[in-house]
Amino acid sequence: MKKYWRSIEEYQAIQKQDIEKKEPEPEFSIEGMSDEEIKGKSNRRDFLKMLGFTIGYATIAASCETPVRKAIPYLNQPEEITPGVANYYASTFYDGHDYCSILVKTREGRPIKIEGNELSSISKGGTNAKTQASVLNLYDNARLKSPRKNGEKTDWASIDKEIIAELEKLSAESKEIILLSSTVISPSTRQLISEFSKKYKNVSWITYDAVSMAATHQANKINFGESFIPTYNLKNAKLVMGFNADFLGTWLSPVEFTKQYSAARKLLNGETSMLRHVQFESTYTLTGGAADDRIPIKPSEEGILLLNIYNYIAAKTGTTTYNAPNTSVDYKAYAEELLENKGKAIVFSGTNDLNIQLICNGINALLNNYENTIYTAKRYNFKQGDDQAIEKVIAKIKSGAAAVVHYNVNPVYDSPKGAAYKEALDKVGLKVSLSDTMDETASVCTYVCPDHNYLESWNDAEPQTGIYSTQQPTIKNIFDTRQVQDTLLKWMGKDPVFSDYLETYWEKNIYPKQSTFTTFKSFWNQSIHDGTAVLETKFKSLKFKPANLKAPEYNINGAELVLYEKIGLGNGKYANNPWLQELPDPITMSTWDNYVCVSVAFAKANSLSQEDVVSVNGKFELPVLIQPGLAKNTIAIAIGYGRTRAGKVANKLGQNAFGLIYEKDGFKSLLGNSIKISKIEGKTYPLALTQEHHTMEGRSLVRETTLDKFLKNPASGNEQHAIDQAKNTTLYTKPKFTGFQWGMNINLNACIGCGNCVISCQAENNVAVIGKEQVKNRRIMHWIRVDRYYSEDEENPEILHQPVMCMHCDNAPCENVCPVAATPHSGEGLNEMAYNRCIGTRYCMNNCPYRVRRFNWFEYANNKDFDYNMNNEVGKLVLNPDVVVRSRGVVEKCSSCIQRIQEKKLDAKKENRQLRDGEIKTACQQSCPADAIVFGDLLTPDTEISKLNKNPRVYNLLEHLHTLPSTSYLTKIRNKKS
Amino acid sequence: MNCNYRTIKIRALRLFVFIFILTLFLNNRLHAQEAKSGKDLYTVCKACHTIGGGKLIGPDLKGVTERRDEAWLIKFIQNSQEMIKAGDTIAVRLFKEYNNIPMPPNNYTDEQVKLVLEYIKNYDPEAEKAAAAAEVPQTVTEPEIPSYELKPAYMKKAEARDYQAIFIISLILLLVAVGDLVLTRLIKAKFVHIIVIFISVFIMGEIIIVEAQGLGRQQYYSPDQPIAFSHKVHVGQNKIDCKYCHTTAEKSMHAGIPSTQLCMNCHNVVKEGKTTGKDEIAKIYKSLETNKPIEWVKVHNLPDHVFFSHAQHVKVGKLDCKECHGPVETMDRIIQVEDLSMGWCINCHRNTEVQFEANKFYKNYTKLHEELNKGKRSRITVDNVGGNECQKCHY
Repeated sequence: MKKYWRSIEEYQAIQKQDIEKKEPEPEFSIEGMSDEEIKGKSNRRDFLKMLGFTIGYATIAASCETPVRKAIPYLNQPEEITPGVANYYASTFYDGHDYCSILVKTREGRPIKIEGNELSSISKGGTNAKTQASVLNLYDNARLKSPRKNGEKTDWASIDKEIIAELEKLSAESKEIILLSSTVISPSTRQLISEFSKKYKNVSWITYDAVSMAATHQANKINFGESFIPTYNLKNAKLVMGFNADFLGTWLSPVEFTKQYSAARKLLNGETSMLRHVQFESTYTLTGGAADDRIPIKPSEEGILLLNIYNYIAAKTGTTTYNAPNTSVDYKAYAEELLENKGKAIVFSGTNDLNIQLICNGINALLNNYENTIYTAKRYNFKQGDDQAIEKVIAKIKSGAAAVVHYNVNPVYDSPKGAAYKEALDKVGLKVSLSDTMDETASVCTYVCPDHNYLESWNDAEPQTGIYSTQQPTIKNIFDTRQVQDTLLKWMGKDPVFSDYLETYWEKNIYPKQSTFTTFKSFWNQSIHDGTAVLETKFKSLKFKPANLKAPEYNINGAELVLYEKIGLGNGKYANNPWLQELPDPITMSTWDNYVCVSVAFAKANSLSQEDVVSVNGKFELPVLIQPGLAKNTIAIAIGYGRTRAGKVANKLGQNAFGLIYEKDGFKSLLGNSIKISKIEGKTYPLALTQEHHTMEGRSLVRETTLDKFLKNPASGNEQHAIDQAKNTTLYTKPKFTGFQWGMNINLNACIGCGNCVISCQAENNVAVIGKEQVKNRRIMHWIRVDRYYSEDEENPEILHQPVMCMHCDNAPCENVCPVAATPHSGEGLNEMAYNRCIGTRYCMNNCPYRVRRFNWFEYANNKDFDYNMNNEVGKLVLNPDVVVRSRGVVEKCSSCIQRIQEKKLDAKKENRQLRDGEIKTACQQSCPADAIVFGDLLTPDTEISKLNKNPRVYNLLEHLHTLPSTSYLTKIRNKKS
Repeated sequence: MNCNYRTIKIRALRLFVFIFILTLFLNNRLHAQEAKSGKDLYTVCKACHTIGGGKLIGPDLKGVTERRDEAWLIKFIQNSQEMIKAGDTIAVRLFKEYNNIPMPPNNYTDEQVKLVLEYIKNYDPEAEKAAAAAEVPQTVTEPEIPSYELKPAYMKKAEARDYQAIFIISLILLLVAVGDLVLTRLIKAKFVHIIVIFISVFIMGEIIIVEAQGLGRQQYYSPDQPIAFSHKVHVGQNKIDCKYCHTTAEKSMHAGIPSTQLCMNCHNVVKEGKTTGKDEIAKIYKSLETNKPIEWVKVHNLPDHVFFSHAQHVKVGKLDCKECHGPVETMDRIIQVEDLSMGWCINCHRNTEVQFEANKFYKNYTKLHEELNKGKRSRITVDNVGGNECQKCHY
């Protein structure tokens, strides 16, 4: 059997074969405890203290009067609101980087949860962690609460007056006004901006993306004559080859790709083939973890490798080959595979380098992939940013531009030219930021006109050609802010009512292009209701023109650097969101920091160990994290940290790595730079990693097999299941259920470990944020965790992700050790947790073999030591009123979203009907982009879950303990070439 | 003979009394039914309509039965808004004509609406006046005697809970007894002290236990409200259905406190109350003018960790509001009658049958259905379908 391990220490233990002897780490920190306390002894003083406390507390409790509670009705109750019943509104999440069509759950007019919109043809009901957490951004106390002038509070009337006067003056003097924005995919906003440009004549609109895809645009311009990003369909492909493209995590349209990817790899309906995925990458991404074959390559090797593959295919198909240096990677088998899958393959690279993108296009053209798996007619509108944007603005300022308006950009923080830009801004007369927080750029601007949060605004979006998406406000603006479009309308001297503008735009431009609806009103209402509208417009696909190819050349001095985005934090725009900060990175399992990832060999060679502090290029210091699977001589650092003006949560966390972006030929690339690190002797910095928390002592927890073996024997890799089942005998009678028995199934073949479920669960169940210190003490509160296992080799291990939450065992070890019966078993097969009964003995935690129970070591709400969203009035608005906020001293855990079960059951009862299969969706299941989770009734034989549980791939965690879990897993199958 | 005569006399007397009571009873019943038929049902309409007295909020109803056909009227009376939404021309015209004030829906059956229409058709103002004059003294005295003079059972219980005096007396007795035993020694027989100490400790202990159990509970809580709103007047006398104001009791976990606008449905016209005069009702208008909702004091409070759904109990369980809220129609100021303790919830769940056959949702409970059919069980109570499990209410 394969050996699985979770950290380098564990791997080394396995090598020495002393895993059994290793003493398990204590569940909680014993730092700062006296010897007596560790032994659990108490003395006379403690006894007296306890006695005094008990009497005092009892006296106070008895003499307190019950507070008077008010019941305040509406003055005029809105028709659509029934207090106590949630409303769902379709909307769109787009922040200049990620796009998702969503449903916003509101209670009494306040958004509390983001759900996936199943009507969308792009995100298809999935979301990612950032989208899930975006609801907390709405209640971020760091948002600006009024417009600012020179940092001082002011009001809209005066700020508008001053800015309009200034703009008119500049326009009359025909001086240049710069509007710097991130990629705008809203067609109505684009029109508005062009009208704004007409009104003030000399407006130049420059698009800037912190992480861009300008090289892809440029390559397509050379190959097809137009600048665009094509769409891909993984479902039509048999082979996907990714080169440094984290397409399931952060690159281009991850939610859409994940939906397609998992659908093509689930193997549930008797398919005999599945999508094969080969990933060449420099750092370990979750896309690499999901891949069937993963080959670590140095950043400088990527272009050479691609060109060699091109030449191999070109030679076989009889087209011109180009000069290519030799590569150490054995690529021939892969090139051969590509040839076998002609017209059914996709090759893409996430590197923003023109040569590499040209080679990729060349390979795809040779393989005839265009219009089969890659579509030049349907295009993405994302990432239109110009890599020279900041340089252009600086040049324009030098040549006399007198005004800069920033819309959804923060170049002072996230541009490698940030410092130069800040300096250049000094010379500008009119500096305006439309940011909703006082970020690094806004704080150097004279005027800040804060934008609404996206949940407060009207908007639309056209993520792909012909696919429109609508955005509607779900709450009135909480603070004195104004949406950017209204601000622009106001400055244009028009009525600042963007909702009207939007509707008119749709009536004139989008309604005529469709034929389903006969009146505009019905079309508009339906589009707003669905959150999406698809137009069947015919576009001509383009013809490929070959270009001259060459491998990019790098000047490497020291180690090679890879910058990467974390799935939670991305480019750092939402760094002040504590949910995202505490989301463990799916690969490194770290929270609250960025660090220098080095490979095991590199660490050995440079005598570095985990948590040592190194100096990076002599500019800043970061701790070391040893990351298996990195390419040789390669170092990876996450961007998105080191914010200085994001707010309480994010300030001073980690270091800003945007300065290390590689700039060449006018493109900004996350990889390609070289880096020098030097160890600072004697200095260490603690990292909050969750990789060894709640460990399960190296048992057969994740099971996998290969496609060949699976086709011969569907139960392959799962042999242990039959053995355990045969041994399962007991003196006790098997529990019997009446009515319902809830069960869950997780398909390890679909799960990519993106962490969306963790945040979704956190939002749904009011899970507390506890901060770095407590995470380090192994007290993380997430009800669902995504375990990451490495297997085999430490230089290039494979990764398996496994979400683990309460298994709801029918023979639960936690239940019978509770002295106060706070955790009994329900008649519907759920392991219940009654917080008000729990006295906090933690016996249940000790007895749970799955380590899924969490203890409230502190009061996490209303506590200044945990100054996150539960410690301020605004932040608390995100709490789900159906789930109680747990207090100190009680144990909590996954409840299978009991509030959702009860809600749907009640709906069925009210409508006098039986419950439908699939009607109840747990929070983790609803928005899973991979559709890896299924939940339902095990007693009814024809439910999806009952059918899945008959699959030979099914197994339970630690079945030999006879805990009879209600949660089952399906083995992972890798499509390996034998 | 004498004897015989007497027995006959007594028998005759008995017969007479019996017949008298019977006729009275029948009379009463007949009378009651008749009243229920038209006039009683019409009381709700009275707030906005007259018969032959001109326009009020709504149109004069004189001759309405001739103006419109019966089916239209039934539909309109039951739910006018629905018709307006559906675009019925007459309904829309009327709605506009009367300043877009919607006529609230009535949960009358077709038969009941017909009775109201009958009443309107045969309405004779003179006879009505005479009847009213004759009825006035009766209506004032008859129903109100019990509520004024005899306190309702829950009030008696509430007062019986006032143990303060007893507790203090017991405490004094205890102190005196102990003092005498140790210091003054006035009474020589020591068993007297011991008995007194024993009894007073027992009484105090009992009170402490009872009070401690009630800690955090609010049985018989009856706070002052910002408006002296009387359920007795609204429910008891005007017979307004609970769900007319508590609109969401069947839809949501909250029964719903009516919005100011909902009060205005009636108080547009009713500007003066029988008992409280104009001042209290004026507070509604003030709320509207100042744009400030009325801040009621919540009486029935459950702890935060308890999830309770009105929809489950009212719509699905088909419980009457009274079962938990007590005889609301007799309360001037609302009072919490039950203690709302967990024991109280659980007891009810043990004894209350669910709508097991009537509601299709319970079809999934096949085993229970089998047992019921085989006669192993006579009924299915809430706890049989898991109603007493922790996470039915705590999550």
